[in-house]
Amino acid sequence: MSPSESTEKLIKKLRYQANAETRQRILGNVLQTLDESEKDKTGVVTPNIRSIIMKSPITKLAAAAVIIIAVIVGVNQLIGPVNVTSVALADVLERIEQAQAYMYKTKMSTTGTGMPGMPAREMEMEGTATISNEYGMKMEMTMVDANSGEKTIQEMYMIPNDKVMVMVLPAQKKYIRMEFTEDLLARMKKQNNDPREMVKQIMGCNYTELGRSKIDGIEVQGFETTDPKLMAGMAQHVKLTLWVDAATWLPVRQEMDIQVNEQMQMHGVVYDYQWNIQASPDAFKPVIPEDFTAFPAGGMKMPEMNEEAAIEGLRMFAELTGKYPKNLSLLTLMQELSQELVGKLKDSQSPASEKLRQAFKQAQSEDEKAKKLVDMMKPVQSIGMFYMTLVQDKKEPVYYGESVSPGDVGSVLLRWKISDNQYRVIFADLTAADVTAEELSELEKALLK
Amino acid sequence: MLEDRVLLWRFKGGSREAFCCIYEKYVNDLLTLAANLLADASSAEDVVQDVFVKFVESAKRFRLTGSLKAYLATCVANRSRDYIRRNRRGQKVVANAADRTIPEAISPVQLVMHNEQLQRLSQAMTQLPYEQREAVVLRLHGDLRFRQIAQLQDVSVKTALTRYRYGLDKLRSILNGEVEK
Repeated sequence: MSPSESTEKLIKKLRYQANAETRQRILGNVLQTLDESEKDKTGVVTPNIRSIIMKSPITKLAAAAVIIIAVIVGVNQLIGPVNVTSVALADVLERIEQAQAYMYKTKMSTTGTGMPGMPAREMEMEGTATISNEYGMKMEMTMVDANSGEKTIQEMYMIPNDKVMVMVLPAQKKYIRMEFTEDLLARMKKQNNDPREMVKQIMGCNYTELGRSKIDGIEVQGFETTDPKLMAGMAQHVKLTLWVDAATWLPVRQEMDIQVNEQMQMHGVVYDYQWNIQASPDAFKPVIPEDFTAFPAGGMKMPEMNEEAAIEGLRMFAELTGKYPKNLSLLTLMQELSQELVGKLKDSQSPASEKLRQAFKQAQSEDEKAKKLVDMMKPVQSIGMFYMTLVQDKKEPVYYGESVSPGDVGSVLLRWKISDNQYRVIFADLTAADVTAEELSELEKALLK
Repeated sequence: MLEDRVLLWRFKGGSREAFCCIYEKYVNDLLTLAANLLADASSAEDVVQDVFVKFVESAKRFRLTGSLKAYLATCVANRSRDYIRRNRRGQKVVANAADRTIPEAISPVQLVMHNEQLQRLSQAMTQLPYEQREAVVLRLHGDLRFRQIAQLQDVSVKTALTRYRYGLDKLRSILNGEVEK
């Protein structure tokens, strides 16, 4: 027997024999998926959320648009005031703050799903962004769905002066126009998907200096953070690495790994920066051909981010699913809603479920169904966005959705700090009140019991 | 092969039992494949579960053009790559371990290992560059042809064959103590 043959023979012996329990566990999980997919198919009366979204690429993008904004706001805004502790990073910030307009390229791959009702998939995105302090941001993106090979091209414009985001979808001859609320605009105005904010964020986190390296022949200095504060409330794990030119202190490359939850991971790279370019105002105005139509017809509005909207969202979630979301991270809670709806909407007798079923029944087209779905998601998005603002404003929010049930009178569902000795509490019966720190302590002790 | 087509046809017709037959027939092979690619038992189980979930989800649209085992093995290889990419920061999964020491405890294959030589081989596998390990594992545990491996790795058949040969040579060298671990 030749040496190769004997090695081959040996390798073939490297077998993994799962025990019966493991095999059964995996089989059980797979069969559960099979059951769920069959339930979906038999649900003639049940509005099939997944199919509604899947049938309408526009809806897919419309729902995505809300999430995109949330991510942009979340990524850029969650850190708050920065304590400048690093001379090196302060230098970087100072240098790039001098830039009035610049461009960069970006690549992002996403695994899993951030979209409610969507099956897990892999998406590759490549884009070029142009940012002007004066005019806003324009981003041209090409997205390829690795599962189906489907390619989508879109242009996104963020125009703070007009308080809108516009997304143009050439293949569908449609555009989405989304208005920002005052609150969101105020939070966005300071930054536009901006590398400066990334530097500020790193400075606001625990980070390490990676020392020198070379990228494309340029000597660079690296900074890295895995501090969860980087995307507080949005991601389970995050790692951001920034490489800056050691001679000019301007960013050269930025890498980001984000695990939003067990299902969704993102890996992104920002590269090919061009600093101090000439920006023309026309470049930031969307060009929408006459034969393109708006989706939805009346435009879209971002969800509100206040207490009332959050309570409305919690009420809707509870009515649709019979419980409160497990956590308030925007993407996670929307995924949870989607999973719950697929299983329970058909049988639920709650007014919210009935209303949703009726809305779907009356819809004249898939697009109309889709619009109703997007509208329905809004209050639920409000919860996640409100929670983001509490984290961002360092109000120390704590959420007990897994410990309490709808209607538990006197049980704390969500609380946050409003002053030194005062907290605001949303109770499980969805009433709200201000309490002192001592009162809160008693309430929370009762929860533990 | 014919049996697989019949099972698949019955499964498409709604037979749960047919799916269970397919599952029982291939689960250990696929776990072996994934465990050798990922060097981690629980990651391997996750990957194989994902592959079967995708399989049941897409079964209605699925048209078998070759062998079912090769199809599932290819899915495991693709999923394993994704898993590694996703967990490149994570410590459990080892993509290219040539310059790392792998704690013995994380190798799944050790669970069923009965002799020192196999333990050393398992350890050596984790030290192969991932492309070589993939070529070796797909060939010997997935029964894939070099043409199929080349297609999966997006390289020429010659390159796939070379990766396989280099992989075997390196393993032999490590086992013979010619290469520093």
